[in-house]
Amino acid sequence: MNDLIQIVSDNWLLLLVGQYPNGPLGGLACTLILSVLGIALAFPLSVLIALARISRFALLRWPAAALVYAARGIPLLLIILWVYFLVPMLIGSNISGFTTMVVTLVIYEAAFLAEIVRAGIEALPKGQMEAARALGLSYPGAMLYVILPQALYNMLPSMLSQFVSTIKETTLGYVINVHELTFAASQVNNQLLTKPFHVYFILAVIYFIVCWSLTEVTERLERRITTRRQGGGRAQVRSAQAPSLSGARP
Amino acid sequence: MISFSNVNKWYGDYHALVDINAEVKQGEVVVVCGPSGSGKSTLIRTVNRLEEIQSGQLQFNGQDVHSPMGHRELNQLRSQIGFVFQSFNLFPHMSVLENITFSPMRVRGVSRDAAQAKAMALLERVGLAGKAQAFPAQLSGGQQQRVAIARALAMEPPAMLFDEPTSALDPEMVGEVLAVMRSLAHEGMTMMCVTHEMGFAREVADRVWFMDAGSILEMADPKDFFSHPQHPRAQRFLTDLRAH
Repeated sequence: MNDLIQIVSDNWLLLLVGQYPNGPLGGLACTLILSVLGIALAFPLSVLIALARISRFALLRWPAAALVYAARGIPLLLIILWVYFLVPMLIGSNISGFTTMVVTLVIYEAAFLAEIVRAGIEALPKGQMEAARALGLSYPGAMLYVILPQALYNMLPSMLSQFVSTIKETTLGYVINVHELTFAASQVNNQLLTKPFHVYFILAVIYFIVCWSLTEVTERLERRITTRRQGGGRAQVRSAQAPSLSGARP
Repeated sequence: MISFSNVNKWYGDYHALVDINAEVKQGEVVVVCGPSGSGKSTLIRTVNRLEEIQSGQLQFNGQDVHSPMGHRELNQLRSQIGFVFQSFNLFPHMSVLENITFSPMRVRGVSRDAAQAKAMALLERVGLAGKAQAFPAQLSGGQQQRVAIARALAMEPPAMLFDEPTSALDPEMVGEVLAVMRSLAHEGMTMMCVTHEMGFAREVADRVWFMDAGSILEMADPKDFFSHPQHPRAQRFLTDLRAH
């Protein structure tokens, strides 16, 4: 126990931000930046992929499906290695491990988020699209104002879980020398040499705390969405005869 | 106002609508009835092209609904046809007021103020002025359907289509929705209603169309239809209805 405290108090800054400001930003900060960037850039892409997946044009449907199946069927580590070796060949200059990792995460997460978005869209009653079209809205208009706001809101918990997975997936940046949290921990381990169990235990605890708190947020959000969907959010205006919900409403 | 000539529809091999020839005149209230699976809903959904037809012609207000046309033209046409669904299909993420102002603002480019004033007047008319800020999930089924009617009326359509508007409602809420429909009919709205509410048909309809197996078997005055139906299938249908 004393060893653990000693290691943390000696190395907390390295674990938190890496060698910054004397070197690249690393540690937990780098892990979180990677995850947030990965998800944030993947999100708009994922909506487009999802729309392509349900499009009636095969020309859009096929490439989107191919990307999704590829991401599902190939280990992330392989995609990282691919991007790491292939992209410099394509663009003719080297890219940093950090950029490689962001690009990979965006591709990979976009594919998974797209499936979440698609599920959200397809879970809505068909009548929502029909009602919007019957009022004279175009398909894109109906998607934008009627379908997507509902689908994305309903899927918030799933997207947040995907964010949690992303945080764990950033550990793979270690193999291409991205200075994220796992990399920082292994630096600490290399200095100490004799305490691998302690160091990697601390590493596990940090990941656990971050991911577990986010999972808690997700669950809370999920409960809130469920109550809101049942109209309980604004109980004061709720009609006395409301309990039936008439089956048709989500 | 709405005319079908030789309209046919297939789902694969299944002949869903068989040589439909019929007309809803301006200001007329037509009730379409018949056993389930007879094609009533399919028929009414062809009018605003939620369902495609394979042959024949369908005119709405002088326009050929199923002619090849651009998206814009079709959206424009649909915006002139009020449609009320069995399952209401209000947008649950919008308040009642937003549900009603949404299409006038988005499709017609009406200003927010004008759309809201119109929406409040319509809510008044369907007896829900106090619910403007409520969300659909906070309303009863009957209230939701009345909002859905107001939402359709907000586009000032020359005709309204009702696809089993009371079938998803608890019995005690059917009356409030029918009352709104009745008042619309009295104001001279052209209406085509698929419904099982035979009392409504008898009282409000100008014509009753009886459908079975994708065909209109009988078109008659409600008085004649209910007192002496001509077609044997219609006679059986009415007997079955009275039996419970």
